Amino acid sequence: MLILFIFLVMVALICLNVPIAVALAIAGVIGLVGFEGVNSLVSVALDMYDGSTKFSLIAIPMFVLAGAIMNAGGVTDRLINFVSALIGFVRGGLAMVNIGVSLFFAEISGSAVADVAAMGSILIPQMKKRGYSGPLAAAVTSSSASLAIIIPPSIPMILYATAANTSVEQLFVAGIIPGLMGAAGLMAVAYGFAVKYNLPVEEAFNFKRVRETFIDALPAFTLPFIILGGIFGGFVTATEGAGLAVVAALAVGFWYNQIDFKHLKRAMLDGGMQTAVVMLLVAASVLMGGFLTRAQIPQELAAGILDLTSNKWLILLILNFLFLIIGFFLHSAAAIILVVPIVIPLIVAAGIDPVHFGLVVTLNLAIGQQTPPVASVLITACAIARANIWEVTKVNIYFIAVLLAVLMICTYVPSIPLFLVEYFYR
Amino acid sequence: MLRSIYYILAHLLEWLVIFFMVLLTVVVIVGVTYRIVGNSLSWYDEIASVLLAWITYFGAGLAALKRRHIGFDAALLSIPMPMRMVGVAIAEISTIVFFAIMTWAGLKVLQVLEGEVLVSLTWLPIQVTQAIIPIGGALFIACSILSLPDYWRKTAAGISLEHADIEEEVETELKKAGEAS
Repeated sequence: MLILFIFLVMVALICLNVPIAVALAIAGVIGLVGFEGVNSLVSVALDMYDGSTKFSLIAIPMFVLAGAIMNAGGVTDRLINFVSALIGFVRGGLAMVNIGVSLFFAEISGSAVADVAAMGSILIPQMKKRGYSGPLAAAVTSSSASLAIIIPPSIPMILYATAANTSVEQLFVAGIIPGLMGAAGLMAVAYGFAVKYNLPVEEAFNFKRVRETFIDALPAFTLPFIILGGIFGGFVTATEGAGLAVVAALAVGFWYNQIDFKHLKRAMLDGGMQTAVVMLLVAASVLMGGFLTRAQIPQELAAGILDLTSNKWLILLILNFLFLIIGFFLHSAAAIILVVPIVIPLIVAAGIDPVHFGLVVTLNLAIGQQTPPVASVLITACAIARANIWEVTKVNIYFIAVLLAVLMICTYVPSIPLFLVEYFYR
Repeated sequence: MLRSIYYILAHLLEWLVIFFMVLLTVVVIVGVTYRIVGNSLSWYDEIASVLLAWITYFGAGLAALKRRHIGFDAALLSIPMPMRMVGVAIAEISTIVFFAIMTWAGLKVLQVLEGEVLVSLTWLPIQVTQAIIPIGGALFIACSILSLPDYWRKTAAGISLEHADIEEEVETELKKAGEAS
């Protein structure tokens, strides 16, 4: 009874637009008092402090900061030029460029919204000028930016790894193949639209131009080099790699001579505030976690579902549905912090690899960013394209279908996403 | 009067967040460098974690002031007036009550921790590092109250703050892109 009451209070508070972190914390407090009495209220302070000092999450402010500095430091234009020289010769070249740049860029930082705003404001107006419809330009930008959350470094993955107590490095590696598969799929759909609407090629392939733009963009590639080389090579941890990424981003900004005090100040501020928003959620989840453990909710849920079926593929199907629906209504960080601790015992009991499941969750939430009402990435792209969100969604359905296909493949053929994990770590 | 307090607090919090972000970045980079040369710093993990907590609560205050916390406003905005404002009142009171509890509990804990010091830096009392909990709680309450009038007006008018933020971000970036080309 108490459990049901707490759950209803939490949902009601979320529906009244109480910050999700606060709704979670209030539910945790009610649970604490319900189980242990008023005298236990002192532990609110201890839990809220413990939750905000999780060392592994220091990677979040560092990656967010690196991304914000990169955004301010003139990297976007150069990457667009390079990718344009590389694949702009294909029909629908600008759409291809958009997808290619997104993969590299959109989730360097924790805020896909800021990145879509930075990249989309350059590419979407260009696309419209070249004959792309507003909805198509917005759909390409939005879906490719969302796909990028499964490509390292990814803030949702860092959060998942902490919540599920699994390796963030392995999760990063697991995202690479599905990310590339998804990009190929999105490009194929974009190509289909390009043929249908007779959209132009951008520039003839010219090796000299590729070389020139590559050299110009070269400093920007230090970031993936640090992340892929340093972290995957086992030289640094994700947190250390994140710290080095900040150094690299600063160096690149100064190299291009485009970073100044004003930009740096804004990057620090954006990074700090985004970190705080996510960390408050994490802190509140520690409070809520205490209640969940006392009430044995995750264990009972696991036992209940395992009573119905112990088939792990069926369980994965159920969880896919759950996360897809949650993705409609919650931001990815909130969804992970809220739901992952509850389902992890089930995952372990059913014999599902937590790294595999982490990828499935992240992919679900990437799709969730494309589906209103809560779809900040989509809304941002629509705002730039000055396109109606439903018009965009009509086009976007095809791109969402690609993401769903990747999700299904990754869910049911785990050897594909886990191939590199096996190769590097096991 | 309320507006000037708002701006002073916003400025103060912005600089505190920036200060602690710079400090954390420096600590992480120094820590990594020392570890790579094979001479790990004993205080690195502990201090970095403390700094993360300070960023969390100063940043959370700032995000409360600017109403940037992750939430879900579609349901609230679909409630007809004037019931919607009853919802806002309940939401605000719940938030303030929670942070009041956190502040009170934080102060209690500080009394208990009297005389305790950090494991790695024995000259630093835990009372100093943990003080962020009551400070953060009180700040969140102040910031919620200061940002309430504007939020109240916009919610009554049916304006989604998240959409307004996105519009603002898009405008800035489009201007920047326009200047560059």
